[in-house]
Amino acid sequence: MRIAAGVDVGSTQTKAVILSDDDGMKILARSLVDTGANVQKAAERAFDKCCAEAGMQTADVGYIVGTGYGRYKIAFGNTQVTEISCHAKGAQFLSPAIRTVIDMGGQDSKAISVGPNGEVLDFVMNDKCAAGTGRFLANAAEVMGIGLDEIGPLSLKATRPVKIATVCTVFVESDILSYLAQGKKGEDILGGVHLAIAKRTVSLARRLNIEPEVTMTGGVARNIGMVRALEEVLGRKIEISPDAHFMGALGAALFAINKLDQSFEFGTWKGDHANRGGH
Amino acid sequence: MPIVAGIDCGTSFTKALLLLQEDGTPRVIGKGRTRSGVNVDDAANEALQQALTDAVVDRSQIAYVSSTGFGRYGVGFRDIQVTEITAGARGAHFLNPGTAAILDIGGQCTRAIGTTNSGKVKQFKSNDKCAAGSGMFIQRAAKYLEIPLEEVGELSLRATHPQPISSVCAVLAESEIINHVSAGVSVEDILRGIHESLADRAGALLKRVEMKNELTLIGGVAKQAGMVRAIEDRLKIRVYVPPDCDFVCALGAGLLGLKRLANQRATAEAR
Repeated sequence: MRIAAGVDVGSTQTKAVILSDDDGMKILARSLVDTGANVQKAAERAFDKCCAEAGMQTADVGYIVGTGYGRYKIAFGNTQVTEISCHAKGAQFLSPAIRTVIDMGGQDSKAISVGPNGEVLDFVMNDKCAAGTGRFLANAAEVMGIGLDEIGPLSLKATRPVKIATVCTVFVESDILSYLAQGKKGEDILGGVHLAIAKRTVSLARRLNIEPEVTMTGGVARNIGMVRALEEVLGRKIEISPDAHFMGALGAALFAINKLDQSFEFGTWKGDHANRGGH
Repeated sequence: MPIVAGIDCGTSFTKALLLLQEDGTPRVIGKGRTRSGVNVDDAANEALQQALTDAVVDRSQIAYVSSTGFGRYGVGFRDIQVTEITAGARGAHFLNPGTAAILDIGGQCTRAIGTTNSGKVKQFKSNDKCAAGSGMFIQRAAKYLEIPLEEVGELSLRATHPQPISSVCAVLAESEIINHVSAGVSVEDILRGIHESLADRAGALLKRVEMKNELTLIGGVAKQAGMVRAIEDRLKIRVYVPPDCDFVCALGAGLLGLKRLANQRATAEAR
């Protein structure tokens, strides 16, 4: 039985997944922590928590792949893979028919074209503007005085979504405040906000060939309002895995299992293991 | 001797200015400025009242009111409204005759205006879609850094090693600013980095219009000395900042109002 882990250090949250290839590929544990200011510590916390969840020692894990924007800060990782490759790999592994991944994270968003073997065919990315990221939604929730978990479900109740002219996170704050002052309903404001961001994200994704099936990954995939808004703008159904939030970490863990295979073949993995020092 | 009011309803501040035309050149006789708030009409009345007090004239003496700015249609007592592009160009030409390039950096919008020698607008580009190119970016950064807005310009001028801001989004830049602070970068260097980032964005707008020496810089942000220096450094261009740079659009609106009033009176006399 080979055990490997993937650690996805995102701008907002750090995720870890432990995989075993015993009796088919199986997820043994998942963990989630806030990234905070110390990226290196966040990676350690996520990994330790995941090991505890799986009921194993850190040393039981044969290979660790880091991904996400903070991947180079992971002191204990064996290697790093970009989050684009990891999301593609993870999504295609869970659902082999997936050809397009829309990843909305805390501070960036991406669309990825995925090949039949989970390889990245093409991708587009927005890390320049907070529109289309979790940061935007967190900001909107704060201005509305509503919990981040509640804005998605509430937006689904919109009957007359308001018009949001710009998608600048800063300017939308004043838009929201003036709509509140006009007495517009919270759900209609949120409906408009989700639709504006969906349009923005779809126009990014349309720079690729959007082939079915389409899935959404990243933390924002937990927001049902965003998923529905994207479906409306795209005009097609979006598959959501319960592990959408962990897709980067899962993909990284799959790469780690592969590495373990290769390492066994080439007889180098013991050296790798020794290099990992404390872990 | 008619008195005309120009009122510029900006996203952050409302500015009112009174113009008196005796013989020859119109003269500014009073100014008023207040936060725009939620009610445009209230803010316009308040700014106008300040200008009246400043000029020591009665409201009944005002012959014509010309409004401009984002809230120009909200001024109930206006006789005419003009766009802030036309008003800005007219005002800038009055103060700096012959200027061909004008940059107006306001609270929520930046505009680059190219004009003819006589002050007619030839072309313009504006960015009102993104806070990173506007005064709002500076306002938010100042709040984070706990610096009063009035001190930002002078502090930025004192920077020794301007710290570049790589984000082009005002929200994502906030995380970057926090990182700079925790890395021990001085407030002066951070503020200048913000000014340079705005200068670069303004430069991109200006290139699409017409970048000619010299540039007339107007709008509230032009009051910040660090902003002016950043534009000069980054765009390698001479910058002229008129006195009362935040009243230039109100002035332009007033001048256009005077012209319109003169035309009306001439038409009436002809009858």
